[in-house]
Amino acid sequence: MTCSFLLPLALWCLIAYLPVWKSEIRISLSSDANNSDFPTVYVPGDHMEEARFDAFRAAVRQDNTDPQAAETAAAGRRANKRILRGITPLALAENWITPEQEKDYAALYTVWQRIALGELSGGLSQENLGIVSENWADMSAVSPSYNSRNFPSEPLLKLIPEGKSEVKRPLFLPAPHEIIARASEDFRGQSELGDLNVWGRYLVSIRTIAGGFLLVCLVGVPIALLCGTFSFFSRLIEPFVDFFRYMPAPAFGTLLIALFGIYDAPKLALVFLGTLPQLILMVANTTRMLDTSLLDAAQTLGANRKQLVTRVVIPGILPNLHNDIRILLGWAWTWLIIAELLGVKAGLTEIIDTQGRRFHFDHVYPIILLIGLTGFLTDQFLAWFRGVIFPYTEQGISASARSAARVLSKVSPLRLKRALRAKPVTVAT
Amino acid sequence: MTAPVLELPPYTRQSPEVEARFHKLKKRPVTLDVNRLTKVFSTPQGEVTALENVSFALHRREFMCVIGASGCGKSTLVRILAGLESASAGEVLVGGESVSGPGPDRGMVFQGYTLFPWLTVKQNVMFGLKMTGHSEATAESEAMQWIELVGLASSAEVYPHQLSGGMKQRVAIARALANQPRILLMDEPFGALDAQTRAQMQSYLLQIWRQVDITILFITHDLDEAVYLSDRVLVLDSDPGRVGELIEVPVPQPRNPRQFLTPEFLSAKKRLEELIHPQQRDGEEDRLPMLRMTKVGDDVV
Ligand SMILES: Nc1ncnc2c1ncn2[C@@H]1O[C@H](COP(=O)(O)OP(=O)(O)O)[C@@H](O)[C@H]1O
Ligand SMILES: [Mg+2]
Repeated sequence: MTCSFLLPLALWCLIAYLPVWKSEIRISLSSDANNSDFPTVYVPGDHMEEARFDAFRAAVRQDNTDPQAAETAAAGRRANKRILRGITPLALAENWITPEQEKDYAALYTVWQRIALGELSGGLSQENLGIVSENWADMSAVSPSYNSRNFPSEPLLKLIPEGKSEVKRPLFLPAPHEIIARASEDFRGQSELGDLNVWGRYLVSIRTIAGGFLLVCLVGVPIALLCGTFSFFSRLIEPFVDFFRYMPAPAFGTLLIALFGIYDAPKLALVFLGTLPQLILMVANTTRMLDTSLLDAAQTLGANRKQLVTRVVIPGILPNLHNDIRILLGWAWTWLIIAELLGVKAGLTEIIDTQGRRFHFDHVYPIILLIGLTGFLTDQFLAWFRGVIFPYTEQGISASARSAARVLSKVSPLRLKRALRAKPVTVAT
Repeated sequence: MTAPVLELPPYTRQSPEVEARFHKLKKRPVTLDVNRLTKVFSTPQGEVTALENVSFALHRREFMCVIGASGCGKSTLVRILAGLESASAGEVLVGGESVSGPGPDRGMVFQGYTLFPWLTVKQNVMFGLKMTGHSEATAESEAMQWIELVGLASSAEVYPHQLSGGMKQRVAIARALANQPRILLMDEPFGALDAQTRAQMQSYLLQIWRQVDITILFITHDLDEAVYLSDRVLVLDSDPGRVGELIEVPVPQPRNPRQFLTPEFLSAKKRLEELIHPQQRDGEEDRLPMLRMTKVGDDVV
């Protein structure tokens, strides 16, 4: 069993870590080169081939060794302010400034000062630290604090772009370690998902599926029991259900929104509508498969019609009903994902949908895995639980389930009733 | 050259005790009266007559076996008697009253195991008592008596899947008897058991029959079983099922396994054999067509 999980994982690792993917530079500090080879503006986070990145840096260095004076003082100041702003992404990432201070030149001015004085470094290269000091010398010579009119117009040195080499995999194929890192950020609420709190969404999803599924069981199982027991109901209900089953439930999406609004209700309704036909047909069939000789036996023992249903049919199909429920619950999850897209997107699907649209698959995969894991663990639990509530079935019951069943039988309602009925011992006085 | 065959007395010859016993038996009141019973099944392939004009009577505390080839309508007969199937014509009287559906006055033990798997042995035996309106406490104490009767007191709290086939059928008997029916209908109840368990179950059943006021109609296709258990054997002819002969078994009661080789036993068994396989003459065997590819050496035959 472990193998069947390890195999796909191994395949994933193999593909992700195979040296077929090119390395690229992920830019962490950018600059602009006065060179026709680099016409666009690169921002931190952009990727660039290594050779091109080297050329980019060389072009910027070239600009520094051969600075071109601007035509007017104002143009020179504008160009210098752009250099001043170049430090912003680093300052934001290092929390040297708050997001509101992004456009605040005074704050950036102090950042330059503090770097030059050696108070901050933020992993800047020696080369860039040198540039900062030189620039700061020029800037402080003009004005020790920021003054938009009193700002150097002679060209300052440009910061040299920095970046880290990264394996560039296709967007849909993040490596396992990336997924783990992203998942641990997302699930601890420390990521760019921000207000999309994973656990909050998870709870919403669980609530929708639990509510929808409970509802469909409450409605569907009695109908199915009637269909499976009495041919009258079977002929009355099942042909239509059989037909209805072929009309895809999502096709009723807009109708459900019209009927139930845009929030939770239409989502519940879709889970209900999608699962109901399957449930009725499946459980009715399970009911019909009940050994008819048990019904014969009960009748010869004096059971009437009602007793046949309550004392034989229902207890008789429970173990198989439990199996059906397990299968149907799997389907309900499928409906849930579609349902959560109805009206106002909600639950985990909202994360999948919004992040997926932006090709942030590293955010999408942990969510999909979370859903899969939830379904799988629920199913495993239900399978184990079968042994607890149906200790009389023969198929593999684990030892833990057996002992749980024993505990359960000790507190069964029947015994409790009997214990309560037992006469208290009266002590003779 | 054929080996000499044992000379047997005619199966109709009865010793004075046996004759007296049958005389007494027929004076007892009739518990079950089956009158010109006919059953026609309509199937997509046409109508199938399973039973035609079957009539017989069962006296109180009688043990009757019904024997016949497979498919001759034995199960159909017993299902009609139990009320699980309706007759096309004719009537069934139990204690003088006509029956139309299943009822607790006729208990039944089936060939397959029909214990309720979700109930313990005790709860299974209590089932009928609870259905017929007994309180939990009465049902429980009565059920325990029947369980003791079939010797399963130590397994009362056990679920059926933990029991052997023979034990399951003992519980089924206890469950049927717990309702105190007038008649116990048994449709090949030991058919699925191995020979040894089967023999054990037969003597269990005879013991129970002696201790309990019960009339038994027992379906079987086993000749030894039929002769060993019953006062009288009803032979059903095949296609359509008709009463072939009602044989009074000349073996004295109470029965024991040593009687299997007595002349009376064998004569009754021989008669049944003749009735069930009438086409088979002495010394004549059904011959299989010789298969190609087989070469049988002379020394084998
Ligand atoms: N429900 C049914 N519908 C149609 N034919 C049936 C049905 N039950 C039994 N039969 C037919 O009636 C005949 C007698 O069957 P059954 O009573 O089961 O025989 P036995 O128990 O002696 O082997 C068989 O030919 C069988 O095919
Ligand atoms: Mg049969």
